[in-house]
Amino acid sequence: MHDTIEARGAGARSPAPASARRRNSRILRALAPLPWIGPAIILIVAVVLWPVVEMVWTSLMRISSSGATLGFRGTGNYHDLFGETDLVSVLLRTVVWVVGVVVVTIVVSLAIGQLLNANFPGRRVVRWAVIVPWAASVLMTALTWKWMLNYYYGVVNKVLKGVGLIDHSVNWLSNPTQALIWMMWVAVFVSLPFTSFVILAGLQTVPQEVYEAARVDGAGRARTYFRITLPLLRPALLVAAIINVINVFNSFPIIYAMTGGGPGSKTDTSTTFMYKLAFSGTGDVGESAAMAVVNFALILILVLLYLRAVGWRGEAQP
Amino acid sequence: MSSLSNRRPATVGRGVPGSAGRGRIVLLTAVGYLVAFVFVAPYLEMLLTALKPDRELTASPTTFLPKHWSFGNFVDVWKAAPIWTNMQVSLIVAAVSTLIALLVALPAAYYTARNRFWLRGPFLLLVLITQMFAPTALVIGIYREMVYLNLTDTLLALILVNAAFNLPFCVWILHGYFSSIPKALEEAAYIDGAGRFTALTRVTLPLSLPGLVTAVVYTFIGAWNEYVVALTITSSPNRQPLTVAVPGFVTSYQQHWQYLFATSLIAIVPVVILFIVIERYLIGGLTAGSVK
Amino acid sequence: MKRHLTGVIAAGLTVTLGLTGCSKGSSSGDSGDSKTIRFVAAIYDDKTKSLWDSLIKTFEAQNKGYKVNLEMVDWTQMDAKVKTYVQTKQTPDILNYNAFADFARDGLLFPTSDVLSPQVSSDILPSFVEGDKYKGTQYGMPLLSSVRLFFYNKDVFKKAGISAPPKTWDEVKTDAQKIKDKGGKGVFPLGLPLGAEESQAEFFMWAMNNGGGYVDQSGNWTIDSQANVDTLNYLKDLSKSGLTQPNPETTDRKDVFNEFAQGKIGMLNGAVFMPAGFINKVNAKLPYAVAPLPTKAGGTPSTLGVQDFLVAFKNGGGKKKDAVSKFLNFFYQTNNVANFQKEEGFLPVTKSAGDVISSAVPYDKPFIDALPNAKFYPTGNAAWGPLANTVKEKLGTAITGDPKSVLSELQQTAQKNG
Repeated sequence: MHDTIEARGAGARSPAPASARRRNSRILRALAPLPWIGPAIILIVAVVLWPVVEMVWTSLMRISSSGATLGFRGTGNYHDLFGETDLVSVLLRTVVWVVGVVVVTIVVSLAIGQLLNANFPGRRVVRWAVIVPWAASVLMTALTWKWMLNYYYGVVNKVLKGVGLIDHSVNWLSNPTQALIWMMWVAVFVSLPFTSFVILAGLQTVPQEVYEAARVDGAGRARTYFRITLPLLRPALLVAAIINVINVFNSFPIIYAMTGGGPGSKTDTSTTFMYKLAFSGTGDVGESAAMAVVNFALILILVLLYLRAVGWRGEAQP
Repeated sequence: MSSLSNRRPATVGRGVPGSAGRGRIVLLTAVGYLVAFVFVAPYLEMLLTALKPDRELTASPTTFLPKHWSFGNFVDVWKAAPIWTNMQVSLIVAAVSTLIALLVALPAAYYTARNRFWLRGPFLLLVLITQMFAPTALVIGIYREMVYLNLTDTLLALILVNAAFNLPFCVWILHGYFSSIPKALEEAAYIDGAGRFTALTRVTLPLSLPGLVTAVVYTFIGAWNEYVVALTITSSPNRQPLTVAVPGFVTSYQQHWQYLFATSLIAIVPVVILFIVIERYLIGGLTAGSVK
Repeated sequence: MKRHLTGVIAAGLTVTLGLTGCSKGSSSGDSGDSKTIRFVAAIYDDKTKSLWDSLIKTFEAQNKGYKVNLEMVDWTQMDAKVKTYVQTKQTPDILNYNAFADFARDGLLFPTSDVLSPQVSSDILPSFVEGDKYKGTQYGMPLLSSVRLFFYNKDVFKKAGISAPPKTWDEVKTDAQKIKDKGGKGVFPLGLPLGAEESQAEFFMWAMNNGGGYVDQSGNWTIDSQANVDTLNYLKDLSKSGLTQPNPETTDRKDVFNEFAQGKIGMLNGAVFMPAGFINKVNAKLPYAVAPLPTKAGGTPSTLGVQDFLVAFKNGGGKKKDAVSKFLNFFYQTNNVANFQKEEGFLPVTKSAGDVISSAVPYDKPFIDALPNAKFYPTGNAAWGPLANTVKEKLGTAITGDPKSVLSELQQTAQKNG
């Protein structure tokens, strides 16, 4: 930035022939970053931004149930979408889903991060175990939980009956509230590894001297943790929080595999609801695109909040 | 390891050196193994189910262990469905998209970390914002774009989507690492007679190894687990990744949970091993980074 | 340094472009010659693929130069796949599916008269043909059919002291109460699957025996009729009284079929393929019997008939009509079609195959006998496909919610779509 301004300033005062040469070199200099960042820009624009445009455009089209495009429809799809009786409850459930899963994930991960950072025999094995749900496909993890929660053949009922927590089997995934709680648990379960490791990494960057100093000052453990460790973890927590919010908001396989959002739309979030609008039910791709645009607007709001949180000021360092 | 931990006492966060009594160690170990069990248990159940014969799957009350251990399920499953093809698809898509994301992200991240130029702000903002976009949210748009480009039902479409959507995260994290490495270190090597490229590969890249590892892991796992886009834009069985193929074992007319879970395990185990191998470098690299 | 890194980028791009080339080349576009057709078939069970494989092999041997590329899709993915095919203009030449009217409406299909020989056309059982038509023209070709009957567990009935299967809804309720009281520990009296898998079928079977259903004689939607509301109230009451398995609203058909096979359900609306698909692999000696569906007040019982279709898409200006027609006429030869349906445990759709099967498979006889009284879904209505999907998703909520409002919402969906 600085350089370019200087160059322009100098160029303005130069005689004509030199100025032409300088203009050339200025253009060259302005283009210099392109070989470095050009491919990234091309890939992002072509594969990430294009679908955004395409999606908005589709939300304005009339698409038949067999999938053929029948022409321009204006805001009709949005009108249909806001006429859906389930929409409000789906959006509220999405908020519960995102906030619930992310908060629980971070709180539990803080504990697991501490555990993984502590010294005890077999720590490495525990770290490996915690990694497993991260490496496993979310869909497959959701399927095994669905199987374990099965009313007829599931082991969850067997275990809970065995330890005396319930008297007779419970059809966990049929009651929308219970199903939602279990699915939120699965979402937490698959988010824990990444979050715990981000926090673990954060913990390891805290210099030992800081703790020494706190000890010399006579600070208690709780005090040390809340006054020193947590504030130092802030960057790690911010990263973990935003990545989790985005992942959890867009989480599709868990709900799709475990309840399909049913009965009706009683366990849908806006993401599964969007998919179902297009590919089941009346199969309206246009209305689904409208839902996608609404979802997208919600994400943009989250992004703006995040930008505020990290204090983006154009040139600021990340 | 033990000598190392002697020198650097337990970093238990609130860990006040010297206070780690024997009881505390026992407690930590117990809690540690309990946590480990909770994380592994669903996959253990996966394994036990994969080893049950057909008739035991729907038996109620269910049993924890198979009565007849059907190890043959792991052989039969290869014949029951073309899972070898699906596995190749998953691997190709995950590996190539990771490679592309990295090759594209590295120069961009390095250049933005080392230079200030007019496009820097807009570019970083673009990266920061698109980092928040997930294929799931845009699946309808992706689908329509691929229709337009005539790329539906191709591996290239899956590769491009996975590479592009993970690219911003890679750029971001690598940019962060490159920025944290003092330019002086590179310049020192440069003055020592190394070329700038050598300085880059000998000094900067090794120091940013944790970032590299994180970027690779993040992209690979993202692509390996990707479900919605593959579900929507692939239709031929030989171009579907495992995530799309696996649920096909349980349908209205047949329910082969044992095959579903056998395939899932076949898919999960190699990645878990990969992760365990990388974990050493990940944690080791992070520790090294924090000490220096 | 710059050169090195640009080299790396260039390499990356080359890889990308190289892949573009590869994938384009191997893409499954239907640009092939007019003698190669793409056939997307649904997976009914483990045998389906090998049955088609061997049929195709014979066909290709008999018709030199013709080739059939088979793709198998399981039913859980079918709806999404079919939508993708249509939107991406990648429709197969022949598709095996459970709906066709919206494709016919959009002009994507060959009428059957274009692709089936008159001989085959006239062999199709008349009871199916009505459901194969859209606005008077036949587009669907029945591939196989299934008829539902009432299945009961003889041991459970004996224990509960029930001498004959129930004929009326009152009897269903009193018998269910008997089973609940003394039918054995852990046995659910009535299996009632109103979950997303097949609730449109379960509901229809009860409703039609109460004078209800989806459409009236003249084809107008009657989803919110009083008869249908009463039906759901009756089922809701059964569930509330603990006479069904828990949570009918989320129970899939496969769950109750599996439980019936395990001897854990006293009675339910079963399907012709239940022994082959569910009972025999668990307990081939399960003491079960079949009876007509119970009716509200003891009238003539109806039952649900279901046909799945083959449809032929007009791809690339119809240049493959000849090949498609050859393959379809080959498939509908008596032995081919009869063998396919027999092996899959479904019912015949042609007269000639019906004769072969009813003499060869005694188990099928009561089902074939029930065909004349079978009612079908309004598959000829273009709104049916979307409606059926909506019913599947939403009908179950009537068990925990208000049947009347659920049904009127569905009525609106139907009317909105045509």
